[in-house]
Amino acid sequence: MSQLAMVIDLNRCVGCHACAIACRAEWSVPVPYKRNWVKSAGPEKTPKGMAFTFYPGLCNHCDEPKCTTVCPADPEEREFKSKDGKVKKIEIRATYKDPFTGAVLIDKSRCIGCGACVEACPYGARYLNEELDDPKADKCTFCTERLEHGLEPACVRTCISGARIFGDLSDKNSSVSKLIKDKGAIRLVSEKVNIGPNVYYIGKEKDLYLLKKKFAPTERTWENVMAPVRRNILISAFKSLKVTA
Amino acid sequence: MKRRSFLKLSASACAALAALELNSKGFIPKASATTSSKSKELPGSLGAKEIPSVCEMCFWRCPIVGKIKNGKLVKIEGNPKSPANGPRVCARGNSGVQLLYDPDRIKYPLKRVGERGEGKWTRISWDEALDEVAYNIKKVKQKYGKDALAYFDHGASAEFMREIFKTLGTENYTSEPAFYQCVGPAALAYIKTLGYVTTGTRQYVDMGNAKVIFLVASHIGENVHVSHVREYIQGLQNGAKLIVVDPRFSVAAAKADLYLPIRPGTDTALLLAMMNYIISNNLYDKEFVDNYCTGFDKVKKAAEGCTIKWAAKICDLSADDIKKACHLLAENRPHVSIHPGRHSTWYGKGDTNRHQALAILSALLGAVGVPGGLYFPTPVKKGHVTFGCHEKEAEHPDVSIQDDFYPFASIFGSPTGKIVEATSTGKPYPIKLWGINGVNIIQTIPNPYQTMEAIKKLDFIFCEEILPTETAIWSDIILPGATYLERYDSVYTYDLLTPYLTVRQPVVEPMFEARTPFWIARELAKRIGLECFNYNNEKEFIEEELKGAGLTLAKLNEQGGLVTFKANPYRDRKDFKVNTESGKVQLSIEDFEDEDLNGVPKFIPTPAPPVGYVRLIYGRSPVHTFTRTMNNKWLHNECPENRLWINDTLAKKVGLKDGEEVVLENQDGYRSLPIKLKVTPGIRPDAVYMAHGFGARSKALTKGYKKGASDQFLISRYEDDPFIGASSHRTNFVRIVKGQKVIDLPELSPPPAEIPRFEIRRKGGKS
Repeated sequence: MSQLAMVIDLNRCVGCHACAIACRAEWSVPVPYKRNWVKSAGPEKTPKGMAFTFYPGLCNHCDEPKCTTVCPADPEEREFKSKDGKVKKIEIRATYKDPFTGAVLIDKSRCIGCGACVEACPYGARYLNEELDDPKADKCTFCTERLEHGLEPACVRTCISGARIFGDLSDKNSSVSKLIKDKGAIRLVSEKVNIGPNVYYIGKEKDLYLLKKKFAPTERTWENVMAPVRRNILISAFKSLKVTA
Repeated sequence: MKRRSFLKLSASACAALAALELNSKGFIPKASATTSSKSKELPGSLGAKEIPSVCEMCFWRCPIVGKIKNGKLVKIEGNPKSPANGPRVCARGNSGVQLLYDPDRIKYPLKRVGERGEGKWTRISWDEALDEVAYNIKKVKQKYGKDALAYFDHGASAEFMREIFKTLGTENYTSEPAFYQCVGPAALAYIKTLGYVTTGTRQYVDMGNAKVIFLVASHIGENVHVSHVREYIQGLQNGAKLIVVDPRFSVAAAKADLYLPIRPGTDTALLLAMMNYIISNNLYDKEFVDNYCTGFDKVKKAAEGCTIKWAAKICDLSADDIKKACHLLAENRPHVSIHPGRHSTWYGKGDTNRHQALAILSALLGAVGVPGGLYFPTPVKKGHVTFGCHEKEAEHPDVSIQDDFYPFASIFGSPTGKIVEATSTGKPYPIKLWGINGVNIIQTIPNPYQTMEAIKKLDFIFCEEILPTETAIWSDIILPGATYLERYDSVYTYDLLTPYLTVRQPVVEPMFEARTPFWIARELAKRIGLECFNYNNEKEFIEEELKGAGLTLAKLNEQGGLVTFKANPYRDRKDFKVNTESGKVQLSIEDFEDEDLNGVPKFIPTPAPPVGYVRLIYGRSPVHTFTRTMNNKWLHNECPENRLWINDTLAKKVGLKDGEEVVLENQDGYRSLPIKLKVTPGIRPDAVYMAHGFGARSKALTKGYKKGASDQFLISRYEDDPFIGASSHRTNFVRIVKGQKVIDLPELSPPPAEIPRFEIRRKGGKS
């Protein structure tokens, strides 16, 4: 199985925010929602010297996504086809992990806009687009739609310093696999939260130290969402809403 | 639509090109049928019509493509054909969409109805607006003479209207903050040393091939020009060692191998000591200096006595670190990039000499015309277009505000500060009319209070603007200009390491009643009665320019709107010659001596902060350009306001906390808008820092208004550079006001006796 992944090289990143804006333009993401962001950390003293770095972030398309498990939509069987013609049938909710690319995606036609997945993500990578008459959850798709047209993700394409490297982890010769193997790339995880994010970071030791200290999630946000109970509450709430509307 | 019909670069061709590039890397999986969109309209910007053009979100002017869907610009990308930026554009380049569609844009010609600066307007017709501007230009010229007219200009939009002022004969036909508040002193130093504008709009520093990159308060990275940043990052990736000299731990400092947190205002002392050390230890490139440079003995003498120990004390640095920097540079010569810096009008008196010191250091290390060092431009041929305007240089009046005050000013035009002064005092001659195009002078020229007072004395002031900036608010007539996305401008050539030729062309028709700068200038010239602009439209002269390159617009567009050329940046030593009088690199500059100015660098200490105050320094946010983009919806959302960097130990001493809001008061009692603190060890305790451009004072800029603080409104005093009259921006001092309480800031790194202290003469509570 493939797993799409991104490596962000903090040695190359200058914190220019081009990635965040290209994403906004490509997908008409309304202000102030973000699928793609740049936060800064420092200057601050670390055990490895003074550091000042950036946290360019996006959906991590995790190995064990929690957003997909809290979705209250009824599971439905869906057939997926790989690029080489393999077929797989799996049950999915309104948000799911594509069995062939590993991208975590949203089926907008089934999303009821309850916001459970938004709250569940420990990275804050999702938003509920309330600009829509019928609000839907939204987030980074790894530009799946662009990939289908042979194009890179919009943030990768615009990155002025080539700090974003995108590819498939199942291919041991891909740039991402090599960078992760050779350059000591880290995932933004903590002891409490480790759900297999597929965005990796490389950089100076001090920068990675600061990145982790400031931005590695420590709260098991999905546990608060309490999927089954919440689902029932939500469904009844939505039913009554529809009636009153 | 007809303007676009000639464009042959179809979206599919572009996609095919990109796919080809990607397939060679081989990591993009093919479409999975179940998830592909079935509807005809492709998602995102996919399937958009692509029109090649040129960015103007800053002056670097990256080649772009505008992506159009249903007649609307949906996205901007780099032109994939460009060898400089390829498909990449920075945050600002990406956000051009929101300049075009900014609801705050000036939509019609406007006439002031209230007091100047009050911001009350009435809509008028183009005929009325142009007639009024023409009438006033003629009237002022007739009444006070040609030099009573002054023109402040910046960027592509200003170029055509400049021809009018030039033809009218005023010596003040160009007055560019781009020189007098930015690169002027640096440009002069390099022109005189190396014979070409090594640093101006462009900067010819081969960082991509450098073994050492040496930055003296260059904020590269925070200051973004795409191809320049790419070369810098490439150099670092190739293993170049990075030395950064800056009072603040900048983004560049964070990437440095050696960081020197220098005391502000002492850079020349450091550079002289480095020269002295490199010379006296025979670490310099003797062969290059002996054969291709003049003035070595004078430089040697000037640096004599400037020991590492002396510099360490003056600059508050470790002597070992200074030595390390010298050895790193010397051991890796000639492949060392000594960056000329940018926006370097800091301290007034010593600015030109400081840049001269950087140029000399490059020469001592033989780092000129070699890979990794400074290199030479590769001019790209295009047709020369004249507009039938005044071809001769203007005649200077009996007393010129250029060379009669600053001997090298006329290389760049009229010093901005001198125009403001002459307008205020009527001396040496009265200036009664200002035209302004492409620059928000109130937020750019130091002492905006003085600028606003001068404006009150004018008979007439007009501007061509896109947004209702502070300067627009102070104008009598505002002419709504088309953005770079709505117009043809010119053929643009790039003479750096990846030369190309391209052209700006509209990606959409002008919105509202906005008109192109060429149209505005041509119409205005007609009304003044000048024989000017003998082309009917931009396309006519663009074809003429292209003819000189063996191209037509149609041909160029068949090739994706851009053609490339081979670079010739380096020189063999045996053929080494520069464009100075002697043909050699001038380490000592006789032209300067002839004017009783320092022919070789000399350390002129800038006064240290008065007790209770710290120095205000400023820099750039990579998300913004000047004061121009703070109202851009997307950029504003990324970075709505600036923060004041303050040293953590200092903050702790006076009980200031990270994130809390304060006001700054400068030495003259002027106060800033509120600004939040960023408490960090990454700045010296004798300075505070903010990014420039925030704190808009024009209410009509609905997003940027009063967001963050403006450094400009705290720069109420400045000193002139004696060479060209550029104005200093780092000679103001501030303390902190929290609530009603004024907080004096304790001195944690007192200056040595060699540095005098600034004395406050005026006291008061202006705001």
